[in-house]
Amino acid sequence: MGLAKRKSAYVEYAQAVPLKYAIDPDSCIYLKKGKCGACKKFCEADAIDFDQKEEKHTLQVGSVILAPGFKPFDPSRFDNYQYANLPNVVTSMEFERILSASGPTMGHVSRRSKDKAEPKKIAWFQCVGSRDLNKCDNFYCSSVCCMYAIKEAVIAKEHIGEDLDCSVFYMDMRTHGKEFERFYENAKTKHGINFIRSRVHTVNPVPETDDLEIRYVTENGEIVSEIYNMIVLSVGLETSPEIVSLAQKLDVDLTEGNFCKTSSFDPVLTSKEGIYVCGAFQGPKDIPQAVVDASAAAAAAGEKLAAARNSLTKTPEKLVEKNIFGERPRIGVFVCKCGINIAGVVDVPGVAEYAASLPYVDFATDNLYSCSQDTQEVISQIIKEKNLNRVVVAACTPKTHEPLFQETLINAGLNKYLFEMCNIRNQNSWVHKNNPDLATEKAKDLVRMAVSKVALMEPLKEAELEVNQTALIVGGGVAGMAAAQSLSAQGYETHIVEQNSQLGGQALSLFKTAKGEDIQERLSTLNSEINSDDKITVHLNTKLTEVEGFVGNFKTKLSSNGDDQVLEHGVAILATGAAALEPKEYHYGKDSRIITSLELDKKLIEGDPTLKSLNSAVFIQCVGSREPDRQYCSRVCCTHSIDNALELKKRNPEMSVYILYRDIRTYGEREILYRKAREAGVIFIRYTLENKPEVLIDGNNITVKITDHVLGRPIEIGADLLSLASAVIPNKDEALAQFFKVPLNDDGFFVEKHAKLGPSEFATDGVFLCGLAHYPKPIDESIAQGKAAASRAITLLSRQIIFTSGTVAATTQADCSSCGVCISICPYNAPSFLEEGPFAGKAQINSVLCKGCGLCVASCRSGAIRLKGFDNDQIFSQIFSMNEAV
Amino acid sequence: MSEWEPKIVSFLCNWCSYGAADLAGVSRMEYPSNIRVIRIPCTGRMSPKFALAALREGADGVWVSG
Repeated sequence: MGLAKRKSAYVEYAQAVPLKYAIDPDSCIYLKKGKCGACKKFCEADAIDFDQKEEKHTLQVGSVILAPGFKPFDPSRFDNYQYANLPNVVTSMEFERILSASGPTMGHVSRRSKDKAEPKKIAWFQCVGSRDLNKCDNFYCSSVCCMYAIKEAVIAKEHIGEDLDCSVFYMDMRTHGKEFERFYENAKTKHGINFIRSRVHTVNPVPETDDLEIRYVTENGEIVSEIYNMIVLSVGLETSPEIVSLAQKLDVDLTEGNFCKTSSFDPVLTSKEGIYVCGAFQGPKDIPQAVVDASAAAAAAGEKLAAARNSLTKTPEKLVEKNIFGERPRIGVFVCKCGINIAGVVDVPGVAEYAASLPYVDFATDNLYSCSQDTQEVISQIIKEKNLNRVVVAACTPKTHEPLFQETLINAGLNKYLFEMCNIRNQNSWVHKNNPDLATEKAKDLVRMAVSKVALMEPLKEAELEVNQTALIVGGGVAGMAAAQSLSAQGYETHIVEQNSQLGGQALSLFKTAKGEDIQERLSTLNSEINSDDKITVHLNTKLTEVEGFVGNFKTKLSSNGDDQVLEHGVAILATGAAALEPKEYHYGKDSRIITSLELDKKLIEGDPTLKSLNSAVFIQCVGSREPDRQYCSRVCCTHSIDNALELKKRNPEMSVYILYRDIRTYGEREILYRKAREAGVIFIRYTLENKPEVLIDGNNITVKITDHVLGRPIEIGADLLSLASAVIPNKDEALAQFFKVPLNDDGFFVEKHAKLGPSEFATDGVFLCGLAHYPKPIDESIAQGKAAASRAITLLSRQIIFTSGTVAATTQADCSSCGVCISICPYNAPSFLEEGPFAGKAQINSVLCKGCGLCVASCRSGAIRLKGFDNDQIFSQIFSMNEAV
Repeated sequence: MSEWEPKIVSFLCNWCSYGAADLAGVSRMEYPSNIRVIRIPCTGRMSPKFALAALREGADGVWVSG
């Protein structure tokens, strides 16, 4: 990003995968002038190859997925913000780097001017390169900037302290994502961040200070001038010209905003069959939505390629595991130099020599890079030749490299649990680089501890578990239907359970999508496709009454009008949807002209002729959303109301249409509707939570009273129709949450595995989620998530057999006192009482459910539970072998 | 001032603190070397007996983090 200098040999960024160095050909002296080559001389691994050239490969593929991402908007061309001239005007991307612990300032927030001072007052300008047809061509909302600006302000305060003054200048605050509204509220109330609704028009340098003077107009019309130490431009997302030309080459259609054109019902399919799209190229979006798209695109590609699944896979030859029962430990110790990473500090040969002197160690050596492929083969050979039955590798961290070395053991015919890793890099050489002697001593201690532990390790078995190949989907709305179709297309038997008498869920009451597609038409096609699909069984008027089992082997009781049926399935997708709130305010229910958005949709679907003759229609937004007791944005309502306002205008252009709102949240390219509505003469009036509109019914007249935000005066609007954008309310199905052991949040939406990286699955293995049950979302996003949930489920189904970890708890039933503490303490429901046999009433542990945390082991007052791989004697041996160290 | 340095034994949760200790290395932070880490699968696995054993073996401090 040009914030700091970097050397010619560089790592792209700290989290790069693979974490390998590259040479920058634009600055390397050898590549430019043929001199130097120092890196080649110094590289002990001989990894430098100056002759590498760009190569072209031709691949035969069945599907292509486009995920080229976005380019941050370059604000250099905006002369009013003076980004190009003033060092303390930075972009939000630059500010992200300034906040980052691995960034150029190591996370210390400092100015870019020569003084490098810590700022005391920072301003964020929103919508730079978004929602702007005046200074640039990006009409759309970039969707993510409001939230990242708030996040940056909060983190900046965390770094600098509470005294930091943060102000965000915005047009509409768009925190429409899950848990975002709460974050916004906390930013205002707990962190004291100022939010100012204004577009700043000028930034001027304050002479001799590097500070910045800004001028803006407040909501009351006052012109204010203020001085800030730093300004962050919240730049938008755009498609780079290279990607536009790639799209042209691929004959893929683009939208008006240069994003990939898709339909709401096939949200990841491009205009070209077989080419799919995900991420910000599909439309500006945040991480969870991009992750949903990614899984959905994988599913879409998989649907077409299902027949070819596993046709190109190779099965590795499996060596028969050696039986080491009764053998004395014969330990091999491999001490890694990691180039100079370890050997530059620790006396590695000395540590290896010391290791050779330890009890039961039959072999010890050092390696330059233990993880390199050739060393792996050498280790495997040595294990076989020396007939070793335990291995210690002293190198980096088991968190990244344990699986690799375990694989080496398997290749040498050893059980992979006869292994211990000892961390002499991350937790030794790297952190004690100025104390080589002490670091060497520590390395020896760590090796001794690992040797004493590994001597007590035993071969562990991983439970093999067949995955039932049937899927259950709870909920037959569009998300559930999309998931079912994807599963069926990929060859899996799927059951949809729907509590109502027909499929479709909330979509049954919706008129058109934001892109103008007819929902009912598509829904009826979808319905008939599902009904004629041999692999999909639909259970209408059916509820779940019991769920037993776990990942791969669920047994669910379905009850329909008194008839019970037990379904065995390997995975479950929860798509239980949500409902519209029945408003308690604005006289809803007292007059047939006061209706909800869905009721207006019903009139539009039925083609109600009275709509044409209305003289005025008023829409009230945020009815039940963004309230103290329901602190979330329902995400769909702004677009929905604007869409319906346009429909009314289409029927009668003379109609006066008003939308009363708090912030308009037409994110992404939905912004075009907002523009069209204003062009069509729809009047937008803003209100605040403290000053809500008032609805009066007086005889035949409905009057809405509101303070106009431009006039600053109360006005009265006569309404022939009042449409209330009522909140999306989750079903909050606690019984279902209990059945599958999945959590609900405070609002009643299901809590996914990871807010950003696991949006379509639960932390509970084998259970997935999609649709409104996750969070309010429009149809295209529901369908994408339906496909995504199917995609995630198939990663499990397609394995057919899964192995659980060997490091699980087990009970010694003879010692068990049947107190039940393990059963009540286990977060995963793994322990239970045996029901029959000689040990009936004693605890047993289901190794499939056990995650190996050891909570039950520590809590067992009878000492009847052991954790394999972290057994008492193994941990004690580590402690006892420390004696020389402590 | 005495030269005495406490000897510390730590039990770190594999999922958080052990990873954090790795990250301290990746970030090239520095700290005194008189600490010996034992990786446990979760602090749920921690037993008072481990802390007592470490103290009996001569540790001056036991640090459990997770």
